Amino acid sequence: MSDLPLIRLTEVTKTYHLESGDFTALDHVTLDIAENDFVAIMGPSGSGKSTMMNQLGILDVPTSGELSIAGENVAKMSSLERTHMRRDIIGYIFQKFYLIPLLSAYENVEYPLILKYKKRDTTGRAADFLTAVGIDPVMSAHRPNQLSGGQQQRVAIARALVNDPKILLCDEPTGNLDSKTGLQIMEILCDLHRKGKTVIIVTHDQKIADYAQRTIRLADGRVVES
Amino acid sequence: MRDIFFDLSVRSVRLNFLRSLLASIGIVIGVVAISSMGMLGTNMQLSVKDQLSANVNTIMLTSDVVKTSTGLGAVSSNTIDSSTLNDIKGASGQNDVVPIHHTSTQFSVGDQNGRGSIYGLDPDDVPKFLTIEDGSNMRGSDVLVGATIASNFNLVVGSTIKIGQNCATVTRPVVRVAGILQARGIAADGVNADNAIIVPDDWYTNHYGGLDQYDQVNVIVQDVDTINQTEAAIDKKVNRNTDVVRISDASSRLSTITSTLGTITTFIMAIGGISLVVAAVSIFNVMMMSVKERVQEIGILLSIGTEKSEVRRMFLYEALILGIIGAVVGGIMSFVIGYSVVNAMIGTTQYFFQPASLIYIPYGMVIGVVVCVVSGLYPAWAASNMDPIDALRSE
Repeated sequence: MSDLPLIRLTEVTKTYHLESGDFTALDHVTLDIAENDFVAIMGPSGSGKSTMMNQLGILDVPTSGELSIAGENVAKMSSLERTHMRRDIIGYIFQKFYLIPLLSAYENVEYPLILKYKKRDTTGRAADFLTAVGIDPVMSAHRPNQLSGGQQQRVAIARALVNDPKILLCDEPTGNLDSKTGLQIMEILCDLHRKGKTVIIVTHDQKIADYAQRTIRLADGRVVES
Repeated sequence: MRDIFFDLSVRSVRLNFLRSLLASIGIVIGVVAISSMGMLGTNMQLSVKDQLSANVNTIMLTSDVVKTSTGLGAVSSNTIDSSTLNDIKGASGQNDVVPIHHTSTQFSVGDQNGRGSIYGLDPDDVPKFLTIEDGSNMRGSDVLVGATIASNFNLVVGSTIKIGQNCATVTRPVVRVAGILQARGIAADGVNADNAIIVPDDWYTNHYGGLDQYDQVNVIVQDVDTINQTEAAIDKKVNRNTDVVRISDASSRLSTITSTLGTITTFIMAIGGISLVVAAVSIFNVMMMSVKERVQEIGILLSIGTEKSEVRRMFLYEALILGIIGAVVGGIMSFVIGYSVVNAMIGTTQYFFQPASLIYIPYGMVIGVVVCVVSGLYPAWAASNMDPIDALRSE
C-alpha cells in the first residue's frame, strides 16, 4: 500500500444515465497524483473537470475503474467512511467559497474540528489558522455575508486547512475574486504547497495553472495531457 | 458545551422567526385544546364522583315489574309490598332500611305554579340520608322542600304550598314548609330531593294511596365494605323464586357514570387532537421549506464531512425547538384557559388543582413536542439523504 501514490485513478469511467441517453463524463481515465504535487486540471466546458473534481473529492464514486486515495479504494468504502475521509484527508476550496451562512467566520473554521473531535475547539487552532490567512479576531466574529469575497475565500482556506488534510482540492479558487486578491490567494496556496500539502486546482485560467508544477488537460472526458 | 448543530437550528429558527412562530402557534392551539378538554373532563368526573360518593353506601331496591308473576295470571306491580319489605329488613340485619313513596305532581306557591317530585318518608328516616339546612323535621302536614324548589319559589320556613293541579272545583291540600333541605346535586341513591317536596308517609298515603306499597326501598349500610354481602343476602331472601326486586347500588352507578364521562373526555380530547394534526401538517410544511431553502447549506455540510446523522439531528433539533416553544406557551395558556373553561362549565375550580386534572398540561405538552418531532422526521431524512453535488449546485 505504501507504494501507491496519494491518488491513483485506474481506467476510471463515470457515466450519467440521462433521459436523452447515457453520457460519459470521464472515459477510462488513468492518472497518478503524488504526495506534495501541485497539479492544475484544465479543459474546456464539458471536458469532465467538475466530474473529475467530484471524484477526487470523494463526493461521487466511479461507474467503473478504480480510484484510490491515500491507499483506500473509494468504491469499496461505506458512505460513512467516505464522509470521514472527506473530513480528515481532503480540504475543499470552492469558487463560491461555500461558507455556512449561519455561522461566524470563526465558527466556520472551527466546524471541521467539531466534526472530527466532537467537541468545541479549546486549543486555539481555529483562531491560529484564521490569523495565518490574515483574518483578525474582529473579522472572525462576522458572518460570511459581512465579509468581502477575498476575506471569505481566506476563511474558506482556513476551514480547509484546520483538520490538517493531505490534499487541498481547489475549484476555481480565484474565480470570484479580483486579480489582486486572486494573486494573494494563489500566494497562500503556493505557500501551503511549499509546506508539504498536495494542491489540486481546477481552473480555466492559464495564469493560475502556471503556478502548478504539472497541468492535466481534459477533453471529452479523456486525459489529453498530463 | 452546546452542540453546534443545536446552535445552527436555533439560528435557523431565529432567522425565520415569524414563520417559526406561526408554525408554533399551531402547536400552542393543539396543546391548549387537548389539555383544556382533558382538564374539563376530569374536573367533571371528579365533581360527579364527589357528589355521588356521598351515597355510595346505599343499596336501591325497586320492583322488578317485568318478571313478577304468579301462576297462570301475570300480576304486574310496580311497588314493593310490606311482606317484601319485611324480607328486606330481615336480610339487611342492623342496616337502616328506608321505604320511600314517590310520585310527581303539580303544586302552587301563591300565584306561581310548578311541577316537582313528592317523596313520602317516615319522618324518622329523614336524618338518615337528608340534611335539613333550615327549619325542623316534618310532621303532620308540615313538609320539607328541596333547595332548588325553595330557591325558585322563594320558600322559607312557614311558607305554604298547595299540592295538586290548579282546578277551580277541587279544594287542594295545603302544606306548610317545616324545613329546607341542603342541596344534594346528583343523588346516587335515587332520591333527587333538590326539586322535590318531602312529605310524611301517612300524609302521602292519605292523599295518594299506596299504603304498604312502596316505590323504592333504600338500604343504607353501616360498613360500605359489606355492601356486596348485604346485596347478596337481600337477593337470596327476596328473589329466591323469581326476581321480585331489582337491586342496584350507588357504587355501580358511580362507576358507570364515571366510565361514561371518561369516554366523553377521551372523545372531546380526540376532537382537540384534530387541531394537533393540523399543526403537524403546518410543522411539516415549515420544515420542508427550511430544507428547500437550505439545500446549498446542506450540500456544504455534507461535502466537508458532516455525517448524515448529524444533518438529520440538526433538522430534528429545529422541529424540537418549534415543539418546545409551542408546548411551553401552550402549557401556560392551558393553565389559564383550562381554569376559565372549568370555572365556566362546571361552576367550581375546587378540583382544578388536583394532580388528576393538572396532569393533562404535561400530557398535552409532551404530545405537542412528539407531534412536532414526528413531523420533522421526513424533512430531516430528506435533508440528510441529499446528493451533496446536486445540493451544492442549487442556488
